[in-house]
Amino acid sequence: MRVVVVVVAAIKAKKTSIQALTAAALLLPGLVFPIVNAAEDDEMDFQFSRYQEGKRNLGGVPNTKKPIEVNSLQGGAKFSLSDRVKFAFKYTQDTWSGATPIGTAPLLFGGNKKLMSNGVVTGASPIISSNYYIDKNTHQAQKLIGYTPDGVALFSANNQLVHTLSVASPETRKQGDFNLSYEWDEAALNLGGGTSVERDYESNFGNVGARFDFNQKLTSLNLGLSYTKSDTNALMDHDAAPYIDKNAYLSSGIYHATPSGERIQAGREDWAPNIGITQVLGENSVVQSSLGYSHATGYMANPYKVVEVGFVDPNQIPDFIDPLGDGKNYFGDGRPENIVNANLKAFLEKRPAQRDQFNVSSRFVQYIKPLDAALHFDYHFSSDDWGITSHTFEGDWMQPIGAGWTLTPRVRYYSQEAADFYTPYLLINQKSIPGKTGKPSPDYLKLPNNYSSDQRLSGFGALSGGVSLSKKFSKSVSLDTGFEYYTHDGGLKMGGGGEASYANFNYYVVNASIKVNLASLSHSIATEGHGDHIHNHDHGAPIPAGVMFGHMLDKPGKFMVGYRYMHDSQAGSMLHGQDAVADSTLVNQACGSAPIDKCFIVPKEMNMHMHMLDLMYAPTDWLNLMLMPQFVDMNMSMRQIAKPTDFGLISNGNKLAHITHHVDAGHSTGGVGDTGMYALFKLWNTSNNHVHLTVGTTAPTGSIDNMLRRNHQVDGGFNDYGMQLGSGTWDFKSNLTYTGHWDAWSWGAQVGGTQRLQERNSSGYALGDVFQSTAWGSYNLFSWLSSSVRGVYTEQGKIKNHYNGLVQALGPMDYPKNYGGRYWDVGFGLNAFVPSGNLVGNNLSVEWLEPVSTDVNGYQLNRDGALSATWSYMF
Amino acid sequence: MFIYVFNVLIGSRVTRIFFFISISIFCIACVHLEPWERRNLAKPQMAVEAFPLLNEMRAHNFGSREAGSGSSASSGGGCGCY
Repeated sequence: MRVVVVVVAAIKAKKTSIQALTAAALLLPGLVFPIVNAAEDDEMDFQFSRYQEGKRNLGGVPNTKKPIEVNSLQGGAKFSLSDRVKFAFKYTQDTWSGATPIGTAPLLFGGNKKLMSNGVVTGASPIISSNYYIDKNTHQAQKLIGYTPDGVALFSANNQLVHTLSVASPETRKQGDFNLSYEWDEAALNLGGGTSVERDYESNFGNVGARFDFNQKLTSLNLGLSYTKSDTNALMDHDAAPYIDKNAYLSSGIYHATPSGERIQAGREDWAPNIGITQVLGENSVVQSSLGYSHATGYMANPYKVVEVGFVDPNQIPDFIDPLGDGKNYFGDGRPENIVNANLKAFLEKRPAQRDQFNVSSRFVQYIKPLDAALHFDYHFSSDDWGITSHTFEGDWMQPIGAGWTLTPRVRYYSQEAADFYTPYLLINQKSIPGKTGKPSPDYLKLPNNYSSDQRLSGFGALSGGVSLSKKFSKSVSLDTGFEYYTHDGGLKMGGGGEASYANFNYYVVNASIKVNLASLSHSIATEGHGDHIHNHDHGAPIPAGVMFGHMLDKPGKFMVGYRYMHDSQAGSMLHGQDAVADSTLVNQACGSAPIDKCFIVPKEMNMHMHMLDLMYAPTDWLNLMLMPQFVDMNMSMRQIAKPTDFGLISNGNKLAHITHHVDAGHSTGGVGDTGMYALFKLWNTSNNHVHLTVGTTAPTGSIDNMLRRNHQVDGGFNDYGMQLGSGTWDFKSNLTYTGHWDAWSWGAQVGGTQRLQERNSSGYALGDVFQSTAWGSYNLFSWLSSSVRGVYTEQGKIKNHYNGLVQALGPMDYPKNYGGRYWDVGFGLNAFVPSGNLVGNNLSVEWLEPVSTDVNGYQLNRDGALSATWSYMF
Repeated sequence: MFIYVFNVLIGSRVTRIFFFISISIFCIACVHLEPWERRNLAKPQMAVEAFPLLNEMRAHNFGSREAGSGSSASSGGGCGCY
């Protein structure tokens, strides 16, 4: 007996000490209660995603239009300003383009007109206003299929609908936002705000929030309030605007006929309070529930969408009374009396000026012990006074699969009721009346107060499924990649009654992200004792921000993560060689020689923004490998320098019809650029001098087939060479770099170039080769800050060959001869290094390149300068 | 607007669902866990929001395609007019 008692006592003692140890371990910073609103570490993250829609079904008309695609880039950081104060900022940019529905009409109306070339259907062109036949009793659209021997016209009914598709040229949206928070032991307060800007829409927003923890942080209460003010400034499509009835907006003051085209200019305000509770249910489960309300006022319609309205004149009286003795009357063209004309007109859609919406969300997370997995289940319900209620269900299964990998399959179902004012199209049993001179047509008075055929207000269901794969490299870096497929289907609506199948569409999204935990990095650097090494390395030889491949990692097994931003702008005079030229010279010399090939427009301003991720790894001390994905966006504005009439030409049915569109709207493109892969070899290294060689290639991942949209029934053809996102060719890059330092001084030089490995890319041309040489000197102003001065010479050849498809050349940028040149620049830079503290090892540099001399090939816009900024982190 | 808000608050499913969930939560709010019992809850897969970056992007996509998931009001998000 005694033995047994002793054993039990020993077990008890052991259990208590294990509990005590566990408790102590859990009390270490970062391990205590990171359950409800985890105290987040300092971190930096980047994400890329691509949204790609499938082609819409045009009911038998071949759809050659590229569907919507959106490329998005996001980068952000969170820093602790002090123990209790945290600051986070985020930058998001997305570029979208492609074909989108502008309205809906009966298939027999022919909203997507077949485009023929040599008797072959090559595409479709949108038509939004014309006549078609309907049966006045059944309201079904009718198609003339032939005549009887008596001359009676025969019709077949078809009630199928179809979207009218129109292509939008690429547009870029940029958003920046920040969040500042103050943490107490059991509460937090945060303040955030930001702005989102795109060509036709701008929104500014702010929010405040508070969190209170109770019950040893097992319960949290969240309160929040956000305010958003948005402004629409939409330029209506110059081609379509004359066919769109805007009269319903005349009295509201938001429609403006401006010298640069017809515009919708309107504001909107949103207030959204919410309250939420997060509760730990036990050792293995957490639940979160929130109630939100949003109150929106102002213009909430889509300025690019129309509602098609068929006006059926009730006084369409047959010409012949019972001519065949069959008891029926006929029109002169053989139509039976019930087959009448519907006059289809397009009206700019109209939505209520107010919307109140309630949301309830709940999320439940359950730990599945036998598999070490977690099940996430989310439910969301919304209801608003537009008549839209929605339900969303989502389940995610997070399954760790060893070695830092986690696999997460997910499935989501969404269903919504249609808005009260949603209608695919409208039929009005009245005659359409044209406006009298100077007066608007009264047709809009015959319509309901609000009407929209936007598919996102229709009744439908959506099912999506996907998977994420995550990998955690030590505690500092994690990578995430995923795929999701989404299908929108009227037939999937809960309870049935969804929109017909013409409106179905699908999309997929792929994403990849990298997250760097700065806190655990600095921690590991400190514990490994490598902090000094990194310090010395960067401190000794700062590299100006505009220099690529400037340094190597010199310890095997080291990584570097960096972000590089470059902005290049062109503006000012048009140059020929080194000299400014007059518009009259440009008109006659910079383009072609035939009157229609003269220069009618020239670039006014051009901006390029490049975002690059630098990922570097040192397998040995003499070799570094580097991967550089890129994201690019560009925009260009143009001005007109000659009128077609100067050459006796009319701008109708030919490329000159595009001039107005170029000048009014400009061009913009954006998306993934070319991807660089490099190897850096150390050639010579002493304590003060270092030489290395970089060789590598860029893969043509940037698209080079960006087309301008069709306008006035004339195809747009290729966008100009400078607006394509990549070179389209495999390029070889090589670089020789020397760096040295002594005391507070450091210096360096680099020669290198880019050689195109192909004569033609898939669009028919190749960019010119590039040679560049540079030298710089730098001085340490403080232990953490240095300044640099740099000289750069760059030479780039003309474009080889030319586009292998349609080019509607209207300006110098459409000609390969007007690319490349010889350039001298001088650069002024600053380089900051964080020598200690939480952010040790971070390096930030900026450099401005000021053009000194510019000697262009052919005729080109002068240069304004270039800004480079880099952030890098070694570990 | 006020009539709508009143109706929703008094009668609708929205409030009923929220109160049901809230009451359920407060019923079990007396839960008590020792630090060593919080080990599983601290695992990354147990974070209520395990994919913040990805889900923000997904919310933007859903918000520009669905009328009920609107995320744009509180976070900018742009027009999503495509």
